Amino acid sequence: MIKARNVHKTFKTPDRKEVKALVDFSTDIKKGEVVVIIGPSGSGKSTFLRCLNRLDEIDSGEIFIDGVNIYDKKVNINEIREEIGMVFQLFNLFPHKTVLENVTLAQMVVRKKNKEEALEVSRGLLHKVGILEKENVYPAQLSGGQQQRVAIARVLAMHPKIMMFDEATSALDPEMIGEVLDVMKTLAKEGRTMVVVTHEMGFAREVSDRVVFMDEGQIVEEGTAEHFFTNPVHERTKLFLSQIL
Amino acid sequence: MTFNKRSLITLGVLAIVTFAVYYFFSRRGITYIWHWERIPEMLFYYGGKSAEDAVPRVRMGILMIGFVLTLKISIASIFFAIIIGTIVGIARLSHEPVTRALSLGYVELIRNTPLLVQIYIIYFFVGSMLRLSAFAAGTAALSIFAGAYVGEIVRAGIQSIHKGQMEASRSLGMSYAEAMRHIILPQAFKRIIPPLAGQFISLVKDSSLVSVIALADLMFQGQQAVARTYHAFEIYFTIAFLYLVMTFTLSMATQYIERRLAISD
Repeated sequence: MIKARNVHKTFKTPDRKEVKALVDFSTDIKKGEVVVIIGPSGSGKSTFLRCLNRLDEIDSGEIFIDGVNIYDKKVNINEIREEIGMVFQLFNLFPHKTVLENVTLAQMVVRKKNKEEALEVSRGLLHKVGILEKENVYPAQLSGGQQQRVAIARVLAMHPKIMMFDEATSALDPEMIGEVLDVMKTLAKEGRTMVVVTHEMGFAREVSDRVVFMDEGQIVEEGTAEHFFTNPVHERTKLFLSQIL
Repeated sequence: MTFNKRSLITLGVLAIVTFAVYYFFSRRGITYIWHWERIPEMLFYYGGKSAEDAVPRVRMGILMIGFVLTLKISIASIFFAIIIGTIVGIARLSHEPVTRALSLGYVELIRNTPLLVQIYIIYFFVGSMLRLSAFAAGTAALSIFAGAYVGEIVRAGIQSIHKGQMEASRSLGMSYAEAMRHIILPQAFKRIIPPLAGQFISLVKDSSLVSVIALADLMFQGQQAVARTYHAFEIYFTIAFLYLVMTFTLSMATQYIERRLAISD
């Protein structure tokens, strides 16, 4: 479903230094697979997600989604993005819209659904993430965990083929991480294709099909969660795991 | 708000200063005979207008006619300034260098030349080529002038919105234009209401400059009335008050809008 080949991506920092975010990066993600990407900060994991829907642009290489080269000039990136939902670390809900409007808007603007249809879908999804009773509330009045669940419902409303989570629980207070992870686990068990950047190893162990450890823009080691917990091979992997576990 | 000892001291100082100013001017002894009784008929009067239209009824006086024209030109200019400013504000942030340079050139050119000169140029040069009426030329000049300032305010407003808002919109499949329209601009406009209000208040006051192209606005009609009656003090005080009515209403209106939009905070 996702095929990345020899992807290079370099950032320029404000002081004009070049930082290599992805170095000759290649991977394949199958339909229905739940892939967890772990790694130290600056290892390129978020960059990889952002390059998958072209929030960041790669310098060279190729990325195919469903066989379509998304960096091809003829591709309408808006159509690609409809199929790839993204959940952000800082939620990025629309603060001037109510919870219900947040979930409904893109369905009407992008999918051209009529209002009744969009509202029905939205209410169903808000119920699914357990926050329907807050449908007329503005995001500022919600806790972080509640906001992130709304953000997940907003993405689900587009019926994306792939869902990406960019450190979706990193900005949450500890007692709220569980409620968001529960929603993510439910989605994983439904057989969705998910690419999850996280430090939550419990999530990786419970629902992931594959864990990828990245460092300095490359894959250092990958395997099942079980493999990472029992016998990681590389020194860097061991060091990283000893720090986060 | 509660009155305390400090409020009393402030009021006391204010009273002393007021009395001192009054005393100073009363000793200068200008002999001016006030004719405030002539002002009401310049606002409204009852009677016939001319030999052809002699039916007596309540009619607008010279200052009120000017007031209405100032109101019209201000509203029209605010409307166009918002449109110009929004376009310029977005263009200033374009990734395309020509668009960016053009919008910057417009802003710098307009902000760094006097409005009075712009009014003359647009009326006498552009206006006579395009056969613009004085009203059209005046509205154009004021809109173009205020549009440059509004453009910078809009740009600042857009830039103040967290980039995650654009990223979230785009990642849901919205185009740049859809994201601007539904997500970025509504939030930006809410944030820029206070500086916009200041800009529009300036615009109402600056509109008095169009009197130089014989547009019969409040200022122009006031000058006519002064020339005819020599009641300069009363008339200019009245004009100032009428401008204050417009700007204060505008001020109240924007504060009302600001409160209404604060519900999502």
